[in-house]
Amino acid sequence: MTCEEVRELLPEHLLSALDETTDMAVRRHLRGCAACREERMKLEEGVAALSHAVHDQEPPEELRARVLRALDEEWEEPGPVPAAPRPPTPSQRRSVWTAVAAAIAIVLVAGSITWGATQSHRANLATADAGSYRSLLGFLGGKEFRVGAIQPSTGSSVSGRVVLYDGDATKGWSSWGLVMVKAPGYDGEARVTLLGPDGDTYAWPPFHIHDGEGDAWIVTHQDMTDYDRLTITTSDGTVVGSAAIHAA
Amino acid sequence: MKAFAGRDERAAGVLYDRFASRIYGLGIVMLGNDGSAQDLVQDTFVKLVRTAERFDPVRGRLETWVLLTARSLAIDALRRRVLEARSLHAIGVPREDDPSPGPEEMATVADLSSRARRAMAVLSAEQRSALELAYFGGRTTAEVAALEGIPQGTVKTRIRAALLRLREEMAKEADHDV
Repeated sequence: MTCEEVRELLPEHLLSALDETTDMAVRRHLRGCAACREERMKLEEGVAALSHAVHDQEPPEELRARVLRALDEEWEEPGPVPAAPRPPTPSQRRSVWTAVAAAIAIVLVAGSITWGATQSHRANLATADAGSYRSLLGFLGGKEFRVGAIQPSTGSSVSGRVVLYDGDATKGWSSWGLVMVKAPGYDGEARVTLLGPDGDTYAWPPFHIHDGEGDAWIVTHQDMTDYDRLTITTSDGTVVGSAAIHAA
Repeated sequence: MKAFAGRDERAAGVLYDRFASRIYGLGIVMLGNDGSAQDLVQDTFVKLVRTAERFDPVRGRLETWVLLTARSLAIDALRRRVLEARSLHAIGVPREDDPSPGPEEMATVADLSSRARRAMAVLSAEQRSALELAYFGGRTTAEVAALEGIPQGTVKTRIRAALLRLREEMAKEADHDV
């Protein structure tokens, strides 16, 4: 990303109106570009000026005690302070197709994999739902659904599930994939890379793991049929988990 | 901020004194009544506690982080209000808690609106509109572009120019005060 591109995106970056991938690219550029950081600082001062000029209003005096009491209660709760649920922001808005793909993936995951279910229960569910899968496949005009369970690398406790949908590119349909990751204790950037038997790789855009949980999805016209494994890597390139992908 | 993240009550008081008035004012402007504005202040500080460890001063100013956290919560509250109103309207149930402001709140809102008009007067009408829709309305630049019937690039340029102009005006005022 060039300085010019980043500067054009800075207002949206500042107002949290960028999608996760673009925002991450902007942040990456800012880390290594003092001139663009300077530009962002000027815009931040503009936001501060706006707030001073437009909405500086003393609240009722009793509010101070009420807020500090709420913070006390928050701090008194046992265990680590839980992360606040992230509200939907404009930056999280996805395209309609992405949302549809994700929704279908979630239905599939809920129906066929079911987190925490026993192996036998999972097998029964998969068998019972096989007819539905075929109907859905016929409706979508796709080739196949594939799934996989993410296994931790040595010294890691990563787990997760993978669903890939191979669309029929000859009919103009895209393929998509969803990866859900649990990485207790990890908070940071991660990446999914699909691997093929011939050494081919397909790296998805980076995604973020917050408080040990994260998910990545992709909708693409690239043919993913030949990829039969994937890895999860952290931002420093360490492989923390992998999965074999097989037919659902 | 480090002390706040470390659960220091005194730091919480300092942070409150520094930012509460602007969060409360933002709540009044965006949500339109005292109760919602007070809730916004409380919710913002609780969220700041829960996310304090993620704050990185290298990535941005504390002030912007606090204000944009409050703005994001206010936008969520507005969206919830719209959804709730739609659901109740759909099943024909009137709202029990009328969020419309009372006379005192109306006066506060009017005062803030008048100050806002004065502050924004340095901006062109186009810059003002783009900034208001994006900052207070929580609209993306694509949405502002569609509403205004202009290219998205123009919206970005207007917001950027508006923020830089406000910064410049603030600096002038500070010089004048010295």
